[in-house]
Amino acid sequence: MTAYFEIRDLAVSFRTFEGIRPVLNIERLAIERGETYGLVGESGAGKTVLALTILGLLPKPAGIIHSGEIWFDGDDLLKKSEPELASAYRGKRLAMIFQDPMSTLNPVFTVGQQIERVIEHHQGLKGSARTRRAMELLDMVKLPDAKNLLRKYPHELSGGQRQRVIIAIALSCGAEFLIADEPTRNLDVTIQAGILKLIDELQRNLRISVLFIANNVSLVNVFCKNVGILYRGKLVEEGPSALVTRHPQHPYTQTLISAIPRDKSEKLRFANIEIKPEAPQGCPFYSRCPMGVERCTQEEPMLEPVGNLQHRAACFFVKRD
Amino acid sequence: MINWFADTYKSLQPTWREFKLSFYLLNRNALQRISLIIIVLLVLVAIFAPWIAPYPSHAISETNPQDKLLPPSSRYLMGTDELGRDLFSRIIFGTRISLQTALIAVGLALLIGVPLGAIAGGLGGWADEIIMRITDIFLSFPPLLLAIAIAAFLGPSLSNAMLAIAISWWPWYTRIIRGQAVSIRERQFVRAALAIGTPMSRIIFRHILPNTLAPVIVQASMDIGGVILTIAALSFLGLGAQPPTPEWGLLISTSRTYFLNAWWYSTFPGIAIFITVLVFNLIGDGIREVLDPRTRKF
Amino acid sequence: MFGVALVTFFVARVIPSDPAAKWAGPRATPEQIAKARLELGLDKPLVVQFGKYLMDLIHGNLGYSLRTRRPVALELMESLPATIELVLLSTFAAVFVGIPLGVISAKQKDHLVDHLSRLFSIGAVSLPTFWIGLILQLVFARTLHWFPMGGQLSTEIKLTMEIPHVTGFLILDSLITGNFVIFFDALWHLILPGITIGLYPVGLVARMTRSALLEILNEDYITAARSYGLRDRIILWSYALKNSIGPTSTVVALSIGYTLVNTFLTETIFTWPGIGSYVATAVIGLDYPAIMGVTIFSAFSYVILNLIADIIIALDPRVRT
Repeated sequence: MTAYFEIRDLAVSFRTFEGIRPVLNIERLAIERGETYGLVGESGAGKTVLALTILGLLPKPAGIIHSGEIWFDGDDLLKKSEPELASAYRGKRLAMIFQDPMSTLNPVFTVGQQIERVIEHHQGLKGSARTRRAMELLDMVKLPDAKNLLRKYPHELSGGQRQRVIIAIALSCGAEFLIADEPTRNLDVTIQAGILKLIDELQRNLRISVLFIANNVSLVNVFCKNVGILYRGKLVEEGPSALVTRHPQHPYTQTLISAIPRDKSEKLRFANIEIKPEAPQGCPFYSRCPMGVERCTQEEPMLEPVGNLQHRAACFFVKRD
Repeated sequence: MINWFADTYKSLQPTWREFKLSFYLLNRNALQRISLIIIVLLVLVAIFAPWIAPYPSHAISETNPQDKLLPPSSRYLMGTDELGRDLFSRIIFGTRISLQTALIAVGLALLIGVPLGAIAGGLGGWADEIIMRITDIFLSFPPLLLAIAIAAFLGPSLSNAMLAIAISWWPWYTRIIRGQAVSIRERQFVRAALAIGTPMSRIIFRHILPNTLAPVIVQASMDIGGVILTIAALSFLGLGAQPPTPEWGLLISTSRTYFLNAWWYSTFPGIAIFITVLVFNLIGDGIREVLDPRTRKF
Repeated sequence: MFGVALVTFFVARVIPSDPAAKWAGPRATPEQIAKARLELGLDKPLVVQFGKYLMDLIHGNLGYSLRTRRPVALELMESLPATIELVLLSTFAAVFVGIPLGVISAKQKDHLVDHLSRLFSIGAVSLPTFWIGLILQLVFARTLHWFPMGGQLSTEIKLTMEIPHVTGFLILDSLITGNFVIFFDALWHLILPGITIGLYPVGLVARMTRSALLEILNEDYITAARSYGLRDRIILWSYALKNSIGPTSTVVALSIGYTLVNTFLTETIFTWPGIGSYVATAVIGLDYPAIMGVTIFSAFSYVILNLIADIIIALDPRVRT
């Protein structure tokens, strides 16, 4: 019995110059229907790779999926063939919002052409019905003056506008599951808030499930039900966002949370990080962990419940009661 | 001047490391390994021609009228031409000519084009304008045309052909170098050097130039194939090598009168050209793929 | 751009300053040479000569052929259609064979198709045109008798039938006048020279298209398009192709220019009555005005071609604003 969306034992690597580099190592990540899950990790932790893997968009020769299952509504996506993914899943049921709004839109086509092409593909509309739907979508993402916007080219829009367009396109597919890969990464802070608010609203109104990927805990805190912390491809802690942010159990999470300034008077405390040598097996966080011991270099800690069953952490030092 | 060499060497060091890496990558592909080997072979043949060719004198002046137009046999591996000369030997010496002239032509073009490009890009302003205008003029001719025209007017000879090619080819290099130079000029370290008061000439030649060489080296090595082809074409038209020089294009041209009866005469020189150019093109392609970070396999 | 054209003429003029004295021919007596000089106005200062030359050019006067004493311009016009037939054919091939080949090659990168077509492209580009023409002639015309050795029409037809002369383009003319015998004969004659000349452009265009497309396919907006569920085939042929118009048209222009010059080499082999043969004879006979005339004409057409390519590039929306 799997959850609505569940990743199990996913191991992904990349083929590089220097050999094969493991990128993802996720034990279990589950999302229920209509929930928002926030995945937090620093740059290079493997977040985008995860997003691409879910949709089967990993770059071909370079990305290798060693093992794992990605269950979506009862089907293992990893077992599906490319044409099946393209016709039955991508867009239709799972859609993605990318990081960089400028590079995600094709520069030689107008916004209208791009939205309408997707609309036509998924809903088969043509002509004025199609255009009307496009304008509806632009309204949904709170973009004014839809009629003129459709005729503009991507480079004529501002970053925030572009991102909204991308959200509109993703929505036009009619998907029930949205993967938002750092949608606010390249935007100003003020615009960020607007986009976040938008996504939150859309999620509630359309009742879609959202996997929200970010590099910043405070972003996900606000509207994600559950939160997962990714470190170097491994899920080291997850649980209800309130719990994780107020009572972080994993040393890495604790460092993350403590780095958030609570109020202006608090002096910046820099954690004293002793860098220890890497542990090839065992816990990936060992080298930066203030509490590493022998055991950490030999065994890899698994996600174990901490107090509340929903809240899990992968560390040997966690109090379990 | 010696200083300049030392500096260039130093700034090329990281490039050298990359070079070695690229070399390793190049050899992974079977096709390119073969090409590399063939190139080495060609160079060897060119250098040791007099010792490899069975009838070295045929390539130069000696004629042998009684053996004229013989098909390939164990005595004459590729048959003989209308003057009884061993085609095989002539083709081998032709290797020398082709490689030599190609290298000289490209070298000349580089000699003219690179400094011009560096100056244009490095100085900017009116020097840039003038040089680029001139370059544009030359570039508005289709590649071979200028070479043909110049060779026609200078008079048919191999050295004039080389000159003609050099004259029609340098603009391409200038353009590449200039583009690179302009982008480097904007970089921090150049501004820093200016701030300290380094004279512009030094900046151009010591700092900017070495950093711009990479793409041009790639382009030049890719061009060798094309230049060999051009030389052959010019000779074919009668504008390059003159008899009795055993240049491949010339061989094909002379063979036309006889080829209906002596198929070997036209075929083998052409195959020689084809393989040589092919091999250089393959390597050039490989170099480009390796050096261009965007098309790397990962 | 037009300034460039003007200065082009300037350069073409500066070069022949050497053979000024060779005008009268190698066997001319000193008096004849002197007379010729006067005739041609060579005694006047160079600047004046140049001025006169420019004026002549603007009026379409390219001087008189040394060999035939006829106006070069006229002879050019006579030989032009035949060459244009060849050039058009090869351009056609370049666009309709080369581009698709490049596209398919990029899509199936590193598979058999890719390797084969790359091999073919590089091979096609490395072949000496004049040689392959010769070989084709030898094998297919002489030995196998599948195709004629040369010329535009068979001698019997030339002798027995009346050749239509509407546009000067044999293929068109015969179609227009409904003379299918001539039409097919002309077509039949067109094949070998066509293949010979067409190889290089197809190879070049295929290569360039492939590399341009590879770059484009790596872009984010292609991945985004795939994530919306759009079919790969559509993405490839309508989406990505439009992005490649810029570099592609530049290459096509380049290849046409190259082809034009290649005709100089091939026409003599196939006794094709075009500009190429004209030039070849001119070169052998050291007919300078003729050579100059052709040079200027070719350079001019090349500039125009590049202009067209530039205009196409300028249609890119990013450039427009």
